[in-house]
Amino acid sequence: MNFQWSIVWESLPRLLDGAWMTVWLTFATMTLAIPGGLVLALMRLSPVTLISASATAFVEFFRATPLILQIYWIYYVLPAYFDVQLSQLGTALAGLACNIAAFNSETFRSGIVSIRRGQWNAGLALGMAPARVFVSIILPQATMRVLPALASTWVSLFKDTSLVSIISVAELSYVSLQIRAETYRILEVLTAMAALYWLMGYPQAKLVDWVHRRFKVAE
Amino acid sequence: MDVNLQPIIDSWPFLAKALGTTLYVSVASMVLGFMIGVAVGVLRTYGGRVLYVLLGFYVDTMRAIPLLVVLVWTFFAFPLLIGRSIDAVTAGIAGLGIHLGAYVAETIRAGLTSVRRNQMQAALALGMSRFQAIRTIILPQALVRMLPALGSLLVIAIKDSAIASVIAVPELLRQTQIVAGKTFRPFELYTAAMLVYFLLCYPVARAVDRLYRRVAHLGSS
Amino acid sequence: MNKADPILTFEAVHKRYGSVMALDGVNLSIRRGEVVCLIGPSGSGKSTLLRCANALDVLDSGRIVFEGNEVRSSEATVRHVRRRMGMVFQNFELFPHLTVLRNVTIGPTTVLGMRRAAAEGRAMALLSKVGLSEKAAVYPSALSGGQQQRVAIARALAMEPALMLFDEPTSALDPETIGEVLSVMKVLADEGMTMLVVTHEMDFARRVADHVAVFDKGRVIEEGSPKEVFENAMVPRTRDFLSHLGWHGETTIPTAASTREVS
Repeated sequence: MNFQWSIVWESLPRLLDGAWMTVWLTFATMTLAIPGGLVLALMRLSPVTLISASATAFVEFFRATPLILQIYWIYYVLPAYFDVQLSQLGTALAGLACNIAAFNSETFRSGIVSIRRGQWNAGLALGMAPARVFVSIILPQATMRVLPALASTWVSLFKDTSLVSIISVAELSYVSLQIRAETYRILEVLTAMAALYWLMGYPQAKLVDWVHRRFKVAE
Repeated sequence: MDVNLQPIIDSWPFLAKALGTTLYVSVASMVLGFMIGVAVGVLRTYGGRVLYVLLGFYVDTMRAIPLLVVLVWTFFAFPLLIGRSIDAVTAGIAGLGIHLGAYVAETIRAGLTSVRRNQMQAALALGMSRFQAIRTIILPQALVRMLPALGSLLVIAIKDSAIASVIAVPELLRQTQIVAGKTFRPFELYTAAMLVYFLLCYPVARAVDRLYRRVAHLGSS
Repeated sequence: MNKADPILTFEAVHKRYGSVMALDGVNLSIRRGEVVCLIGPSGSGKSTLLRCANALDVLDSGRIVFEGNEVRSSEATVRHVRRRMGMVFQNFELFPHLTVLRNVTIGPTTVLGMRRAAAEGRAMALLSKVGLSEKAAVYPSALSGGQQQRVAIARALAMEPALMLFDEPTSALDPETIGEVLSVMKVLADEGMTMLVVTHEMDFARRVADHVAVFDKGRVIEEGSPKEVFENAMVPRTRDFLSHLGWHGETTIPTAASTREVS
């Protein structure tokens, strides 16, 4: 068995481009999925049944089906049947953002619900409007509580971006699989891909552990 | 838009078999992940500093690397290292199980450390060995407490089995792709697959919630 | 072996937690059939001594000898010693995932290798002894604190121990359930069980103990018969401690603690 690790160095610029796309996708998705998750969480807490039920349906659906299938669905079904033409990158972002927003909404909802009723009353008793109470009193406290779960979701998202390789978005997995197909240096290229993910993901996993320790709610 | 369910009806035996594979791969990888996770979780909690760090490296590596990468590496690269090929289903179950095992291990460890220290002391005071105490007293309580988390991992195992389609495991998503490609009816096929996954995952999530409420008191020392 | 032989002796036992000297040269012996109560302020080292006796804590120096074996001389001795000593904890520490019956049988089946049926026979007898045979099938969460502690006593007795250690067995209980636990302990004492009891129940110590040892800052500052300690304390710290608890000898104004009915 002979391995030719030089292929990794030769392909490194392309791999790094892919890694950059992976990072970009992670940030872009989270930028969409945090407000998205918050809106969904508020909708689920709405007293209007139609609003809360539709948000619940959206969230449960995206949480209970595979992300990879959601991406396929958006990619093949929207353009063919609903005349919505998204680019590959657009499809990737839409799929990831809907999925992560669904998970974020559960995080935010439990964060909001976990703030004691008395905090609402205290704010209202000061003469604040309900929206004011939410923004000034509830949200800051809830934010601290949801940080650990949000951090975990962040790392899941970082890993999940690899799934958009199936629709040819040129992130790290797609680029690696392309190089593998071009060079047939399967073990070298796939190991390099795993190593690059490891180099990026390992510190994130450690950071998540730190966030969990730092913001742990004492109960 | 016209909806044509004929392709699904025509390929029904083919898709039903694929669903069987999905179930088999999910359950087998959950069982493998559970065995790895219990062993790693217990050894990291009670096995001393060296095992804690070594097995921590495994856990954090799996938390850092996407499942797709684990699967692709196991199926395409690993056989080159050992010099013989592995069939897709075996590689799929192994990759899914090893990846899931890290998450089970973290869950088990959280459960074990949440059981009060005095429970271990009470077991030791009866004359049990540490191994007996962990097996009969601490681990069962940890499992009960972690039932919701383990249930979520089962749901994740079902959903993640779809990723094994990238290494051509003939599970539901993979076979749906094949039928969708042949019949040019992606909407019907992918929508139907989506519904099937939902019908699998959603009841499991609910059932675990309900089960946990029934047994919660068994884990509260 | 003579009944008057010590079954358990502590010789110059030292134990330090960080900068705190938990046990600072404790010498004490317990004879077969004797009930010894350890009293003294919280944090004075009483519980630590108990936990060193069955090696749940490791002593720094000194010796603990139980039935002729030095505790901690080997892993096998530790297991043997724990098998022969029952322990009752402040917070019961019943196993919440097991029924009351299984809580009592698990020691005999896993440690002594007893058959399940035989262990259950023994367990049922012990449960009726502590007055809880009708609770055999329920889980501990369905019991009151006093009931849980009585099950814990049955669990320890199921190992047929030569000595029972009680670590503040009533401190975590509601006042109304303390009596039922103390009366079970009284029955055991009357039957001749050797008992080492850490307690704040002065009335129990006075009426049931054969021997009382007063702890302060990791040392035994005074010991003797209940009469000597409660009525004739020689050491000023003992008198301070007793009077803090509202104990003023026989001229005491009755308080809730000192008038509680034991049996």
